[in-house]
Amino acid sequence: MSGYLVFLEQREGLLRKSSLETWNRVQALAADEEPSIPVCGVILGPADTQTSENELYGSGRLFHATAPDFLLYDSERYARIVSDVFRKEECSTLFFADTALSRDLAPKLSIRLEASLLSGCARFVDERSGSCSRSVYAGSCIASFTAQLEKRIFTLFSSPEPFSTVLKAGTIVISPFDDYCQAISRPSAAVQKIAMTTGMRDVAEAGIIVAGGRGIGSREGFAMLEELAGLLGGSVGASRAVVDEGWRPHAEQVGQTGKSVAPLLYLACGISGSVQHLAGIGRAGTIVAINSDRHAPIFDTADFGIVGDVHAVIPGFIEEVRDFLKKK
Amino acid sequence: MNIAVTVCFVPDTASVIDIDDGVVDQSRLNLVMNPYDEYALEEAVSFRERRGEGLVTVFTIAPASAKEQLRKVLARGADNAVLVPAEGVPDPYQTATMLSRAIAGYYGDVLPELLFAGKHSTDFQSAQVPLMLAELLGIASVSGVSSLKETDDGFDLEREIENGVEYCSVRPPVLFSIEKGINTPRNASIKAVMDARKKSIELYSVECPEKPYVRLNGMAAVVRKKECRFLRDEKELLGVLTNERKLF
Repeated sequence: MSGYLVFLEQREGLLRKSSLETWNRVQALAADEEPSIPVCGVILGPADTQTSENELYGSGRLFHATAPDFLLYDSERYARIVSDVFRKEECSTLFFADTALSRDLAPKLSIRLEASLLSGCARFVDERSGSCSRSVYAGSCIASFTAQLEKRIFTLFSSPEPFSTVLKAGTIVISPFDDYCQAISRPSAAVQKIAMTTGMRDVAEAGIIVAGGRGIGSREGFAMLEELAGLLGGSVGASRAVVDEGWRPHAEQVGQTGKSVAPLLYLACGISGSVQHLAGIGRAGTIVAINSDRHAPIFDTADFGIVGDVHAVIPGFIEEVRDFLKKK
Repeated sequence: MNIAVTVCFVPDTASVIDIDDGVVDQSRLNLVMNPYDEYALEEAVSFRERRGEGLVTVFTIAPASAKEQLRKVLARGADNAVLVPAEGVPDPYQTATMLSRAIAGYYGDVLPELLFAGKHSTDFQSAQVPLMLAELLGIASVSGVSSLKETDDGFDLEREIENGVEYCSVRPPVLFSIEKGINTPRNASIKAVMDARKKSIELYSVECPEKPYVRLNGMAAVVRKKECRFLRDEKELLGVLTNERKLF
């Protein structure tokens, strides 16, 4: 019993970027072991695996339940199939990307498989012993945890860290299977439909975030942030204050009671930088703060700052970006 | 009908998280009800009010000294509380197991129709306990519920996913872990605070599983302070982001 199993999540028939990244990270982990560890994957629901094929590295078998009934998430059926594959393939460790789905499914599987669950792992401290670390207490500390059981489940945050191994394109065999999904005796909450917001990527997955706080002044003020985010191919984020005001939806909230984000660039516009907000941006790359108050705490966390009125600076910056993109 | 709400206590936002030798200095923490549990409790209490009947019971795993904090929870509308005494920091599996034993033991043969929990606790943010609890009790569960409506035979609900919303239906018994924004938790009135003094807090001991699933090795403080470079204007900002950081 030793293999690694990766759950690859599809949304509306497309494999998620975070799942592809997880698959590749697990391939790198497995290749580092001596002898190397076999990796397999499981995909539930119709998914366009061909489009993603070039983004999947390493070797292994992908078990693909192609039936349309699996398109939408059903925790009981998903748990049943994933645990069956885990057992049949004699796996020791199950990996997920940290998403709304895995946060729902993984705790169930932890009990069912009697496996230690380490969720929201930012870094592996020692994969052999099953140790990883993540931030706790509103991002004020990093805690390290170790699995106590032989079987383990990890949900991984995407990481800007490069892989330790250069991945080779190997042989990935896709095996469709549909002989599953008989009567499920246990009650379950099946998803009936999903509604996706069009346009921008979710703030938790965005590479560039243009975030606004109370300093933006109004619901209408966010139009300029949307424009800038659109130009940069990024997403709009919001502080708790503006969500509480009803200017932006909770889905965009960054911080302790919102999302933890890891963009390459975080532009904080008119955000003062409460501890709770900073808790959500600990994994951000470059942080830029634009604020009229020179002493706002956001500047203590920012790499670059402009002291000024957001209503002057942002339109000016939009013009600069426009010019730059035209010349490019 | 019976409704159970699980609650835990976390340091408030003003607490200083001081790490000494890999361990948090507990003496500098002021513990309050986990903010997400406030939404869970409000959902339970307003549900009972709409129904016009039912009993909302709060369950918590905490040191016996948590009675004071439980009074404040009762002042927010719960009918009674069950305190499962535990020392130290049980892991999510141990916590969920103790909760399931307490709930199964307290209610006997008939589990409560509805269980509510906060989406996660703001200290460790594992978000594991509610779903493990449902699994141990053998009932359905939905996490991160952002809207909940009663129907003829169950519930229609919404949960936030990345870039969208999922719509589900489910029948009781079911456990919901509750997302922020589903309601506005009430403040306790003076009368409610007075009434809470008369409500029962029952000590209910259960066995804690000996072996945790996960061990906390230690913690280290994060130094977040950076040296901010102040820029003159937007032009300089664009230059820095494109030439120095090569971001676009």
